Amino acid sequence: MTCPAVRVLHVSKRFRIGQSHDSLRDLIAAWGERLFGRRAGAKDSTFWAVKDLSFEVEPGEALGIIGPNGAGKSTVLRLLAGILRPEAGEVSVRGRLAALIEVGAGFHGDLTGRENVFLNGAILGMPRREIRAKLDSIVAFAGIERFLDMPVKRYSSGMYARLGFSIAAHVDPDVLLVDEVLSVGDAVFRLRCIERMRELVETGCSLVFVTHNLEQMQSICQRAIVLEDGAPTFAGRSREAVGHYMNAMTRAYTGRPTDLVCGGEHAGGAAGQIDLRFLDRRGEEVVWVRPSQPLRAELSFRLARPISKLVVELNLRASVNENLLSFNSGRDGLVFQGHVGEHRVTLDIPGLRLSGGQYFWNVRMWDAERGTTEADTPLQFPMVIDDEGRATGSLALEHQWAFDAPAPETRRDTQCAEGEAIAVKVGGGR
Amino acid sequence: MAVRAYGLATGVAEVLRYRQLLLSLTWRDIRIRYKQSMLGIGWAILLPLSMMLIFTFVFTRAVDASALLNVDMPYALFAYIGLVPWTFFSLALSGCVNSLVANRNLVTKVYFPREVFPLSCIASSFVDFVIAFSVLCGLIAYFHFSGEWSFQPRLTLLFLPLVISVQIVLMIGIGMMLAMANLFYRDVRQVFGVAIQLLMFLSNVVVPVPRHGLLGQVLAANPMVPLIGAYRDCVVHGRLPDPAGFAYATIFAFVVLISGWLCFRKASFRFAECI
Repeated sequence: MTCPAVRVLHVSKRFRIGQSHDSLRDLIAAWGERLFGRRAGAKDSTFWAVKDLSFEVEPGEALGIIGPNGAGKSTVLRLLAGILRPEAGEVSVRGRLAALIEVGAGFHGDLTGRENVFLNGAILGMPRREIRAKLDSIVAFAGIERFLDMPVKRYSSGMYARLGFSIAAHVDPDVLLVDEVLSVGDAVFRLRCIERMRELVETGCSLVFVTHNLEQMQSICQRAIVLEDGAPTFAGRSREAVGHYMNAMTRAYTGRPTDLVCGGEHAGGAAGQIDLRFLDRRGEEVVWVRPSQPLRAELSFRLARPISKLVVELNLRASVNENLLSFNSGRDGLVFQGHVGEHRVTLDIPGLRLSGGQYFWNVRMWDAERGTTEADTPLQFPMVIDDEGRATGSLALEHQWAFDAPAPETRRDTQCAEGEAIAVKVGGGR
Repeated sequence: MAVRAYGLATGVAEVLRYRQLLLSLTWRDIRIRYKQSMLGIGWAILLPLSMMLIFTFVFTRAVDASALLNVDMPYALFAYIGLVPWTFFSLALSGCVNSLVANRNLVTKVYFPREVFPLSCIASSFVDFVIAFSVLCGLIAYFHFSGEWSFQPRLTLLFLPLVISVQIVLMIGIGMMLAMANLFYRDVRQVFGVAIQLLMFLSNVVVPVPRHGLLGQVLAANPMVPLIGAYRDCVVHGRLPDPAGFAYATIFAFVVLISGWLCFRKASFRFAECI
């Protein structure tokens, strides 16, 4: 049995909201209040940023931590790094640790790139000899060869971030903590970072990765934890964690249907309180789905005036302007008779046969008689399609392979008879 | 490495483990201090030298302070040998006061023993001190060969490293306390600025302190007074420093170091949240 490289046992961390005396005047005032028995309300209230969190990371394993803003993700990393000390519980980290909580945290603007490499390397615990040996590789990875002897205050923010990540990636740590730092830098560099992180994990490094980029997280981490308000609400395989997280996020949305119907010009539309939910066969709401999973879209909205010829359209998009799929009732020959009040429209879809990724739904409604747009929602209804990483490209279709192999010449006694077809069925699922 | 302990022994061990970083930060401080300045490291000499010239002018030309300045060496030499250790003391400590707050980015984003910040401030000022001190040789030679006064080198010079060490021990202790205090209460920096000015005139940096009487006793409580006296004794006078005064300064320095470092260790885990 291997020893975990990172062990977190029932860890809780509390932060103060008030009563941190930043100047002596405040302190004296606080003493005075205490002395004369006057207490200034709930000044010393606290909140728990992390509540009873436990997990372990084995060598060569990558753990993702996802959750909404303010859930305590970064606090967990800072507890692991030893920057903060927990109020309760135990944190232990074995081996050399490199924490990328902020890229280039130790950079000094007046120093050149080269000088900063040495300084930051030392901050991350690399001996000078090692830095000298790796300098070329660090600089090449960051792609800043030409600017090595320029003060970093004149670097672009992308160059700054690339150099920062590059140094940390060359520490060869036993434990690497990465906090949402890859959002800077261009797409090529992001890919290289992911590649490098995967490489480190394969060579036995333990990775704890905090990010909002769920796809990126899934591509590196086998396991993930979902944090909400400092408490873990899910721990398990990262694909399922993403599903859990997305479902939880939409529950938070649907709890308060939005009146923010659309951006800009269509704000005066007659339809409001638009909500779009997706249900699985059992009638439970889902956001994380498989390509072949049958779905029922349930659209509810409220009309402020009667519309005799209402056309409803649901669009699936990967980004704001890219429509992948469109379900338009008008084009299907259907117009609805709308009255003032609540309405519900359902649409059954046998399966969205798209490759894995993050998508969004957009809802539009028209008054076909007047020719006016009555609703056009922003991309507020997310959906994650999980194809288990099988499909590249944009579609994930059910398919079946057949492979006719010639009989082995020397060994005729194998189980595989001459010309036998080996068939593997892929996809389909439930 | 299991749970991180916060005792003094682990503090020393951690600092030793991170000595590479200490060197890098020291070097960074020196680089930054003299980057984009024309005279560069020359400022290390110019600062105490110009102070010396000012005080020499004021006390020997502008005002008649002969009664006050009953010193048995040229006044310029007296002032310079007081100003060099004092400049080291005051500049290093004013660096220490800000060291944690100025490195907020590192304190909240990266882990390493926080002692490194005040220590690197003291180390980088020490480089200036060594440079400024070397100019003293030139000054002694000038006064010796101009015939104003004669210098006999003595073996007591070997005592000098010990004096410097005690001063550094004292500074580490005070520096850690100041850095920590300023992190929690930013007023410390202002108070320090006034106090260090006052302290210069209440010690024997540019004028001798009275040896007797109540005032003399009160002023001698400042451990820098016997230390600066010790510099003059073992370099210029060629005699051993006053044993009682020097022993007092040494004990004072170690008490401050141990208590200062202990407080620093105890509070260091709260630095990141309170900064």
